Amino acid sequence: MPDGPLHRIRIKFPGDLEYIPAVRKYVSEILIVNRFTPKFAFRTEIIVDEICNNAVTYGCVSGDSSVEIACLIYEDRIEFQVKDAGGLKEDIARLREAVEAEVSAEKKTAGKPSAAGLGLEIVRLLSEEIDMEVDDNNLTSIRVVRRKEDSSKTGAAR
Amino acid sequence: MAKVEIEFTPSKESPEVAILTFSGELDSGSIAQIGRSFDLMLEGNYLFAVADMARVTLISSAALGELMGCRTRLLERGGDLVFAGLGIGIREKLTAMDANKVFKFFSDVRSAMNAYNWEYHDRSEGLELSFPSLLKFVPPVRQFASRIARQKGYGNRDSFRIETIVDEICNNAVEHGVEADGGDIDLNMKIDRKKIEIKVSNTSDPDKIDSLKEISKSLFVPQMLTEESKRGRGLALVKMLSNDFEIEYSDIGTCVHVTKLREE
Repeated sequence: MPDGPLHRIRIKFPGDLEYIPAVRKYVSEILIVNRFTPKFAFRTEIIVDEICNNAVTYGCVSGDSSVEIACLIYEDRIEFQVKDAGGLKEDIARLREAVEAEVSAEKKTAGKPSAAGLGLEIVRLLSEEIDMEVDDNNLTSIRVVRRKEDSSKTGAAR
Repeated sequence: MAKVEIEFTPSKESPEVAILTFSGELDSGSIAQIGRSFDLMLEGNYLFAVADMARVTLISSAALGELMGCRTRLLERGGDLVFAGLGIGIREKLTAMDANKVFKFFSDVRSAMNAYNWEYHDRSEGLELSFPSLLKFVPPVRQFASRIARQKGYGNRDSFRIETIVDEICNNAVEHGVEADGGDIDLNMKIDRKKIEIKVSNTSDPDKIDSLKEISKSLFVPQMLTEESKRGRGLALVKMLSNDFEIEYSDIGTCVHVTKLREE
């Protein structure tokens, strides 16, 4: 069976937190019309909210910057790619640290500056894959994969 | 008594706006300090202020009263004071006190500045959506457009009309365009304080383009519309609800431009 996406949607919105509720609701409704469960859609909304909040807060430095989300809808999962114009080097470094950090007790208790506030812990909890790319112009891109519960190999409830 | 700090900085983006960053507890002991900050602001001829409350842990009713007084002083001169970055707990308490009917609340300073530029510099903001050419995607798209209109302060009636316009032109784009795999539908929205411009473009299905041309021709030549005519009612509705309406055909696709002025 081909593993290509069934559908692809794209949203580009101004770098302003006030737009995020409408964007996350849109993604949720798109999932509902594609027969994902309300629970899956709601939890995906949380992911969209967190990664868009990060993109706007840390990645939209100038007043006219924008955030772009691409969603690939598969039979068994959804993949997001969120791009922003790139923020300050220290914010990108914190973001990278948060994305690459392992959720382990040692790390949490090691007293390292945590990624608190980035909300990526909850994204990690609700998704199967999360990674980031930063190009030479600081354009930051976060990719998140979330699978349907019944398609998860581990069978863990998400 | 917890120490209160108030830092004053002109906005980099709009130097006529002052950002007042408060930290600590705003209680009755901080009233004089708040008043002095606004005195300094007015001496510097700043009429608009964004109070950044992200680092505030308490706002007492006395301090809130002082801030209302400061806002009145700005309003009398044609300015305003808004709050940004309120914590959830404080925001809830202020809302319970109906302070949200006096002050505008924004998520952060940037949102407040964007709202200022929108309101006083007529800045427009743009959004783009791209979605598969399938009818099931249209309801989320039209609801998104309506929510954005509401979010930007458009009234219920305007928002509903915008939703209707988006619904009709997106439905048409699906009906007369090539199906999902052949091409996506692009929706661009440009919104400002006075109007919203909507542009929907798609890849036309060569077999359906002639029927669409017929329908759209009848819109601009009313005598071609008959009472029995069942086609083109959607576009007629869009034309009726909008202030400017135009359809462009090209070899690759169809593009519908609609402008809807804000009425409320």
